[in-house]
This record gives sequence, C-alpha cells and structure tokens, in this order.
Amino acid sequence: MKIFLIFVSAILVHNFVLQRFLGICPFLGVSKKIDTAIGMSFAVLFVMVLASSITWFLEGILRALGIGFLRTIVFILVIASLVQFVELFMKKFSPALYEALGIYLPLITTNCAILGLAILNVQLEYGFLEMLFHSIGTGVGFGLALILFASIREKLDLQEVPKSFQGTASALITAGLLSMAFMGFQGLVKL
Amino acid sequence: MGYLREFTKGIIKENPTYVQVLGMCPTLAVTTSAMNGLGMGLATLSVLTMSNVVVSLVRKFIPQKIRIPAYIVVIASFVTMVDLLMHGFTYELWKTLGLFIPLIVVNCIILGRAEAFASKNNILASFLDGLGMGVGFTLSLLLLGSVRELLGNGTIFGYRIWAKDYSIFIMILPPGAFIVLGLLAGFFNSISLKFKGSKKG
Amino acid sequence: MGEILKTALILTLVTLIAGIGLGLIYAMVKKPIEKAELNAKLKAIREVLIDPESGKLMVDDSELPKSLSELENKIWRSDESGIVCNCRKFKAKVYSPVYRFKGLNGEEIFILTGSSPGYGGDVVVMASFVKKADGMFENAIEILDYSQETPGLGARISESEVKKRFYGVPFSAFKKSEGLKVNKDAGVMPKDKREEIEKLKRDGVIQTSDIMTGATITPRAVVNTLNCMFEWLGKVEGVK
Repeated sequence: MKIFLIFVSAILVHNFVLQRFLGICPFLGVSKKIDTAIGMSFAVLFVMVLASSITWFLEGILRALGIGFLRTIVFILVIASLVQFVELFMKKFSPALYEALGIYLPLITTNCAILGLAILNVQLEYGFLEMLFHSIGTGVGFGLALILFASIREKLDLQEVPKSFQGTASALITAGLLSMAFMGFQGLVKL
Repeated sequence: MGYLREFTKGIIKENPTYVQVLGMCPTLAVTTSAMNGLGMGLATLSVLTMSNVVVSLVRKFIPQKIRIPAYIVVIASFVTMVDLLMHGFTYELWKTLGLFIPLIVVNCIILGRAEAFASKNNILASFLDGLGMGVGFTLSLLLLGSVRELLGNGTIFGYRIWAKDYSIFIMILPPGAFIVLGLLAGFFNSISLKFKGSKKG
Repeated sequence: MGEILKTALILTLVTLIAGIGLGLIYAMVKKPIEKAELNAKLKAIREVLIDPESGKLMVDDSELPKSLSELENKIWRSDESGIVCNCRKFKAKVYSPVYRFKGLNGEEIFILTGSSPGYGGDVVVMASFVKKADGMFENAIEILDYSQETPGLGARISESEVKKRFYGVPFSAFKKSEGLKVNKDAGVMPKDKREEIEKLKRDGVIQTSDIMTGATITPRAVVNTLNCMFEWLGKVEGVK
C-alpha cells in the first residue's frame, strides 16, 4: 500500500518539476513541441529508473566502505555513462527519435532531476521496491508536467504576447500557474 | 582592458539567469529568502571559479572524446569539497540549502562555461569568466530571493520591512518562484529592448 | 585500441586524483563536521531545558553538557539499534539515546528525540519531559529536522510562536485523550483566548489551525512524535 502511495505522490503531490524544482532546464528547453516532449519524457523515465537502481545499489557499497562523501562523483559518473549508452542505443534502434532530441539527449546528464532523484532516494532511506516505484512515479510526473506544458506552449505560440515577455518570461509565468494548479493535490496522499 | 570585460560580461550582458536562462533549478528552489539566495550563489561561485581554473589548466591534456566526463569529475570534486566545508563550517546554511548543494554539479552554468570558455582560454581569462558569471548568478539569486522574501514574508535578510499581514504568501511557494522569475525576466527583457531600440534610433 | 586505452587511462587518472584530493579534504573536515553536529545538538538540548514561562534554565549550568563526553554521561536509556521505541499506533519512533538531567529542585528531566512522517519526509523532534512529584509533563520542543516540509507552510513549525503551542502538555492530557491531536483532527474550532487554548491543551487538543493555516500534516507529525514519547515514558517510568 505504501508503495502505491509513494508512486502517486511522486507524480502529483511532490511533482519533481512543479514542486521540487528539479528538471527545470529540459522543462523550459524541450517543451516547445509536444512530440519532442513525449520523446524526452520516455528517455528521462528510462534513465531515471535505471540510474536510481544502480546508484541505490552503489550507495550500499559506498556506505559499507565508509566513503559516502564520494557519492556525488560516483552518482554523476554513473548517470553520464548511462546517458552515453542510451544515446548509442537510440542511435541504432530509433534514429528518428535520436535526431529529434538532438542536443537534448546528452543534456539529460545535467538534468538535475536524475541526480536529485538518486540523492533523494538515499536521503529518504528507501528500500528497493520503494525506490523503484518512487523513481517510476517521478519519471511519470516529469513526463506529465513536460507534456502538459508543451501543449500549453504550442497554443501560447499562436497568441499575441507582449514583446518583452515573449519566450522565457511567459513560459515561466505559465509554469507558475501550472505549479499553482498542482498545489491543489497537496494533502491528497498522507504518507 | 580585455580581461575586465571577461569579468563584467557575466554580470549583465551575459547574465546566466536572465539572459542565458541557465541554472534554473537552484534559482527557483533556494530563493525563498535573500540569505538562501546569497548562500547558494556564493557556493556556486566558488565551484564555478575553481572548476574553470582547473579545466583551463588541463585543457591541453584531456582528449576531446572524454572531455565532458572529465569536466564532470572536476566539477563534482569541487562540489563535494564545498559541501564538506559547508557542513563543517557553516552548518545552519548547509542544512537550509540541503539537497541543492550536491546539485551544483548539474548546474548547467558550470559545465556550460567549462565547455564554452575554460576549455579554450587561458587560466586568467577563465578565472575572471568564472568569477564574473558567478557574481552575476549570485546577484540574480540575491535579487530573486529578496523580492520573494519581501513580498511573501515582509522581511529582507530577516529584518521586518512591513507587517506580515501584507504579505502575498504564494511568493514563497513554488508557483511564486516561477511567476516572480518570469516577471523579472520580462522586466529585464523590456529594458534591454528599449536599450537596443534607443541605440538604433 | 590504443586510443581507447589512452582515453580510459586519462579518465581513470583524473578520477584517481580527484578521489585522493577529496579523501584528504574529508580527513581534514571530519572533525569540524562532528563538532558542528554536536554543537547543534547541544544547542537544542539547552533550548528545551529552558522553562518557557520564566525563560530560565531548569537545570544548573554545570548540568549542561558542553562536550561529547559530558553529553554521554547524561545517557539514561539507549538501544543498539538506534531506536528505543517504535509506536505503530502513532506511526512514530523514539531514538536512542534518551538523556536524563537533574533539575534545580531535584526533579528528573528527560530529553527524547523522535520522529514521525511529515509532508515530504520525517520530522525530527527533540522534547524535554519533567517528572515532578505530582506527575509528569512535557516542557518544550525543538524541531531538529523539517527540511522536507513546505517552506512557508509546514516549515513554519520551527517558528517560536508555533512551537509554543506544543509546550507544557501534561501527561494527564495524553492519558485522557488517549493520544494528543491537532485541533483539526479533533474537530475542534480554534479559540481566540489564551486560557481557552491552554484548556484545550489539558484535554489533549493542540491548537494549530489558526497559526498554521493550511498545514496540518507537519504539526500532526509533531503531535504523533510526542504521543510516542509519552507512551514510552509512561511504560518505562510507570507514570499514571
């Protein structure tokens, strides 16, 4: 039961992008079109789950060896390698998606959401299943926020926005309203 | 005067937050107060400057293919160092900034400057570039943090400016961060547009 | 082949240098970190040993631990697992060790640290309990960790005005109500006058909905932690 709650709360109540502020760069960068948003979401979900699992496992080893302070370096190296893998994999099996994502694929490495998730899992001292569902939920939540935002932005592009607010500024304000909407989910899940 | 420009460009012309739109995550998350913004800015500034120097130092020895992972290791080391030092010497601030200290690693500004500048320029220039960007970033965070703290709590750096009853609470919450940053970005945009306009006219 | 080997070697070298450098820094910084953590703990202990009514320390200055060894002298109960009690009923736990101090008038003062899940994670609370001849009561609390609570909402739990609502709860209140509750959970409307708020406290209802509007999860976590502490103390000290 708790696992289900962790899953749901990761998507709605503690949405990584709109509540925890993790993953903003791709959120603002890749959300101009719905298709790229969808592709990015899947890539991120995949990397998130894999990276969390590996780092969760490594954390145990790091702690046992008493070198917990090397956590940041180890985690980020794992993530960087994983993204390289995903890139090669995608290049071979889904070249269209690879082209579409372009520069944003390697940028998943610097997606604070991935490293943030890995560290958060450690901080919250989750067991394996809890970590797994937390990661999947977070990935889904990220995708949800991204796709919602992209849909809004596509519509926004067709509107007449004041010159100084075009681009980033109006995107940020829109994100703020979206974040406000998600606040309505607070209290939905009592962990 | 070339060197001075490397420093000042990071503050206004190429301000990481309002112009380059980099490093958004910590910008939105930790600016719930002026003090937090300042603390995070200074921590990032230290890492940025140190990593720029080291990357510039070793730029001729690192093969192209692995430069990104190598830079990441350098950056991650300095972040860990800052994290440890803050844990030991600035405990309260360390506790407040929490998760976002290790996240300095993935602050796109640092990797961005390493890749775009430090890997192609000498040590002094890289140092100044890192310092300038860091100062620009810190000022942005300080501005955002102060505005949010003032509007949302009626205080700045803990000093009460007006009564709590007049505070717009949501400014301290996530939506407020997005909105205030958006408004500030629009504001700065309009200034630069006017500036460009008057230059032509 | 040679190319790959060269790149791998350089990367390993960079990582090695970084690792060693960090190891050195870690060794240097270890002591200050322990010191900072200890100081934070000692500060919290000092805070909860103050009588909120008079603002004065309830123990003699010599009783206040100023170093790790002095602190360890005050350990009363401990458990190797790190947890002294797990209350499933209140979804909270009490950590090891539990400290005991001697008050100015000979009373026993216990200091417990416990936690309960709040909004984003556990809320860690340190509380002092005073045992007098006519009964036991909780004196004051310090919130040790509320980093996962919402800033401006649940995080306000650390403000002194909010903490005061949790001060001075008698054991009888816990017994009577079979567990303290925040006024929202107890279905009680918030009162304006201080005497009425105090009366609610004696009935086991902690009023928070007026000063922590919109945040119930965090104060509920604090209340649950206190309940767990009361329950354990009651069992161990045989308090009625």
